[in-house]
Amino acid sequence: MAENEPKILSFLCNWCSYGAADLAGVSRMEYPPNIRVIRIPCTGRMSPKFILAGLRQGADAVWVSG
Amino acid sequence: MITFKLNGQTVQGEEGQYIIHVAEKYGVDIPTLCNHKALEPAGMCRVCTVELFDGRRSRFVTACNYPIWEGMEVTTDSKLAVDGRKLIIEMLLARCPDVPAVQKMAKDYGITELRFKKGDDTCILCGLCTRVCEKMGAKAISLTGRGVDMKVDTPYHLFTDACIGCGACASLCPTGHITLDKINSQHTQLNTQLIPSEYDMGLKGRKPVYVPYAQAVPNTPAIDRDVCVHFKTGGCQICTEFCGVNAIDHTMEDEIVEVEVGSIILAPGFKPFDPSQFDAYGYSKHPNVITSMEMERYLSASGPTAGHLVRPSDHQEPKKVAWFQCVGSRDSNRCDNSYCSSVCCMYAIKEATIAKEHAGDDLDCAIFFMDMRTPGKEFERFYDTAKEKHGVRFVRSRVHTIDPLPNGNELSLRYVTEDGKTIVEEFDMIVLSIGLETPPELVDLANRLDIDLTPGNFAKTESFNPVATSREGIFVCGAFQGPKDIPQSVIDASAAAAAAGEMLTSARNTLTQSKEVIPETNVVGERPKIGVFVCKCGSNIAGVVDVPAVRDYAASLPYVEFVTDSMYSCSQDTQETMAQIIKQKNLNRVVVAACTPKTHEPLFQETLINAGLNKYLFEMTNIRNHDSWVHKNNPEMATEKAKDLVRMAVAKVALMEPLIETELTVNQTAMVIGGGIAGLTTAQSLANQGYETHLIEQNDNLGGQAVNLFHTAQGDNIQEKLSELITSVKKNDNVKVHLNTKLTNVDGFVGSFKSTLTSGDNSEELEHGIAVLATGAAPYTPTEYSYGKNPNILTAIELDRKLIADDPMLSKLDSALFIQCVGSREPERMYCSRVCCTHSIENALELKKRNPDMNVYIVYRDIRTYGEKEYLYREAREKGIIFIRYALDNKPVVTAKDGSITVTVTDHVLGRPMELTVDLVSLATAIVPYRDEKLANFFKVPMNEDGFFIEKHAKLGPSEFATDGTFLCGMAHYPKPIDESIAQAKAAASRAVTLLSQKTIFSSGTIAEVEPMKCAACGVCVSVCPYSAPSFSTEGRFAGKAEINPVLCKGCGLCVASCRSGAIHLKGFDTDQIFSQIFELEKAI
Repeated sequence: MAENEPKILSFLCNWCSYGAADLAGVSRMEYPPNIRVIRIPCTGRMSPKFILAGLRQGADAVWVSG
Repeated sequence: MITFKLNGQTVQGEEGQYIIHVAEKYGVDIPTLCNHKALEPAGMCRVCTVELFDGRRSRFVTACNYPIWEGMEVTTDSKLAVDGRKLIIEMLLARCPDVPAVQKMAKDYGITELRFKKGDDTCILCGLCTRVCEKMGAKAISLTGRGVDMKVDTPYHLFTDACIGCGACASLCPTGHITLDKINSQHTQLNTQLIPSEYDMGLKGRKPVYVPYAQAVPNTPAIDRDVCVHFKTGGCQICTEFCGVNAIDHTMEDEIVEVEVGSIILAPGFKPFDPSQFDAYGYSKHPNVITSMEMERYLSASGPTAGHLVRPSDHQEPKKVAWFQCVGSRDSNRCDNSYCSSVCCMYAIKEATIAKEHAGDDLDCAIFFMDMRTPGKEFERFYDTAKEKHGVRFVRSRVHTIDPLPNGNELSLRYVTEDGKTIVEEFDMIVLSIGLETPPELVDLANRLDIDLTPGNFAKTESFNPVATSREGIFVCGAFQGPKDIPQSVIDASAAAAAAGEMLTSARNTLTQSKEVIPETNVVGERPKIGVFVCKCGSNIAGVVDVPAVRDYAASLPYVEFVTDSMYSCSQDTQETMAQIIKQKNLNRVVVAACTPKTHEPLFQETLINAGLNKYLFEMTNIRNHDSWVHKNNPEMATEKAKDLVRMAVAKVALMEPLIETELTVNQTAMVIGGGIAGLTTAQSLANQGYETHLIEQNDNLGGQAVNLFHTAQGDNIQEKLSELITSVKKNDNVKVHLNTKLTNVDGFVGSFKSTLTSGDNSEELEHGIAVLATGAAPYTPTEYSYGKNPNILTAIELDRKLIADDPMLSKLDSALFIQCVGSREPERMYCSRVCCTHSIENALELKKRNPDMNVYIVYRDIRTYGEKEYLYREAREKGIIFIRYALDNKPVVTAKDGSITVTVTDHVLGRPMELTVDLVSLATAIVPYRDEKLANFFKVPMNEDGFFIEKHAKLGPSEFATDGTFLCGMAHYPKPIDESIAQAKAAASRAVTLLSQKTIFSSGTIAEVEPMKCAACGVCVSVCPYSAPSFSTEGRFAGKAEINPVLCKGCGLCVASCRSGAIHLKGFDTDQIFSQIFELEKAI
């Protein structure tokens, strides 16, 4: 990815935000490609360790949405 | 196959292909302005000029229409080619200096100064318009004139009959030279417009080939026959050329299919009222007067402005928005809809709240209304929050004059406030809260089906049979039964299914077919052998992402043994090939990089099953919706993203294990708690559908609160109907009634509950598969309004009892007064009891019927006779019943002294206190839930702050709990009239039958599991789980530790994240699996 772009790791709830991201595609919206999605069954699954691990792997931001 | 050289590289193309096509295949970009895949090339713009070496000499040719031949050498990026192209672009820029497409191209080629004389044209004579016009079968325009006079025009520059107004020329014009306005003003009188998108209420255009809306089921495009050019001229058919799977067949005809059925359910819905017939609102004249449905689209993120609130006239953000209630409802003067549409008050409040959320708190939202009707569950609180917290203004007034300001934007409103002041106020937008109505075609349908309609043209039903039409076997649900909101429609829908199910019980399971079971290969302990299948999805993915590169990259990843790409991974032949490959290559893990798992995961899992592989040895990654579709202008980054996503999926799938779906036998017995109308109806429905049902009632009689009620809103005699219902339930062999019985213990879960029923000193155990909670609610006992100080100050139910008994005191009355909202809609009980307005009006009319000279008063806050109950309100006013409104901070005062009753109330029109001496006061007391904590604990179901049970989903799961196998209906859910209780009772039965009709049920494989050795028995998992899946084990080696019931677990992972010992694993989304994905990020970012 480009050096000057923030690198974002996102955890999306399967039932809402993941579907919303699908819909963004269906609606042919555009957003920057510097984001990687991990699908989780519910944001209830989210552990702080995932966020820390993501930041340690070099992500500039971690986005949890659900 | 023809082989030639392109920029030094040896490339191959088919005979008859042009240079530009082969170049595109090999990723060599050649600019063009006049080429379109659907049209024959014409070489008009010359921008695609390339250098051709034919073995002897070099020359310029246009790549778009020069056919390839064996041994030729083409250079697209030589200095000669680039310079030649630059000169052409410079000349185009001189001709059309203001055209963005040409300006961009000039910038790309570093053209800063013009050496030629600057023109002012906008047409580059590319001829796309004339070619597409011919393709459409119209031939209305052509290139006319010669040399410098050449232009696109109709013959003799006259209006033409040949133009069909399809707009294809405008849609292809690369420069903006042709526009719809220009077509209308210069070429045709057809008034060509964008095709209005029905979903976006015409605020946006759509194509003739379209998906009606993003969530449409099925989500496949349709061709609009009425606007498709092919059906007008026989031309076009471009879509068939582009469809990669030849799915389009323009010759398909409508078919009439005859189906034999045992029952019909009508769910045709409603039509939003069209306010253009009302001149006064100026809807058809002023752009800033919109309907509530249009407002919904403006507020929607997928709407025409992506959720950004703007006023239509100039797309500026509004500062003040007004809602007008009751447009096309409660109106028998200007339209025939004298009923209340039930939903508009709530949606107006919702729209105002969302508008403020989107536009900020400075937005002024005012709702102009007659009565604010928020009688649904949690609605009153929503209304109160909108008013108190969000500052939405509620103005009780009907605006009488709307004057548009001369600037064409704002509108000036003139209205009279409650205290008689005339106010003039300017607003940016007016939203008309339009009602619901039955369209004429549905009236026709009803006539064809020979079913009766109500005065409001809704399907006529009875209070005790609310989903049955007047014709046996035909049922109705949703807004065609009466104007209603989503929860009520969903309840009706389940109820109609139950009603049909009761009729068709004997036919159940007679048409089922069993599937062949393919034995599963045991792969436990095997080294992962991963197959990666990358989908092109036609050009949906391959048009942006370099699919072969992703495929080849996948091959380099650890444990990957097989990679391939396919045009459409989901097509049946690819599925069969995939199953074969899995078997041949002995693959034990599969990754599909394609579209979204939300729609396609089950399909691919089916393929795994067919290949004898456990379906959980699979991971799907979304390189379409999350990649190619949203990064179409960044193909390189999109390809990189696809590689990352595939790498993450491969890392995860390697850690996947085969999972088991636990099988559970469902006990076919049902238990219904509560012998009121709701419980009786559920028991009756379940019994009629063939299931043994136990009805538990703590009292010694059946009927619940209904034994005290006189008539329904439709005038049905409740006592008569209730005794019929009780008799039919008692007679039913499938129902066992347990009177004087309490529930003292409940063990177990969906499919196998074990409950203890205690009657006196006797206890018995009952094993059942499901439970329905129909425990009802009780009337509030008032402490206010001098209740108890005079025998003629009664609660509504006490008056009903007198009416049932035909008490002689009723004939002695000369006056009566009803007080509404006794204990409801107050801070300690912030909900509306829903039934009391109708109930009081009904009884007031009954008293008036018995003695037409009686003075009858109804003292109220808002009259909430929703739906067709509004007719009763109108009738009451016509019959001379006097309605006096009071405010919460100025309640009426009832004085009972020396045997006489005096009520003092401040009249809202006069603004002065009035003293009324009356013979009888009826208090419309609130409906109060029992707040049965014990019962809630037995079934681990939640209650809201008022004490009503909380359903699974307010809109979509109103008759069931989140905990599987438990259902609810009647007033335990929320106060409701008899017809709604009965509908919900049938709905609960219907939802229960979805479980009971299966002899066995399977859990999901992706569920949580406790590692008991690590469990500290802290109990966090037990308390956080919304589905009651974890519990403490009671026996065995790990007694006292947590265990998770696989059948109840929904796999949300809440317990996993909350477990401080790390003792719980979520199969399919386990910690190591998610970490494996995170660790693969390092290479990505």
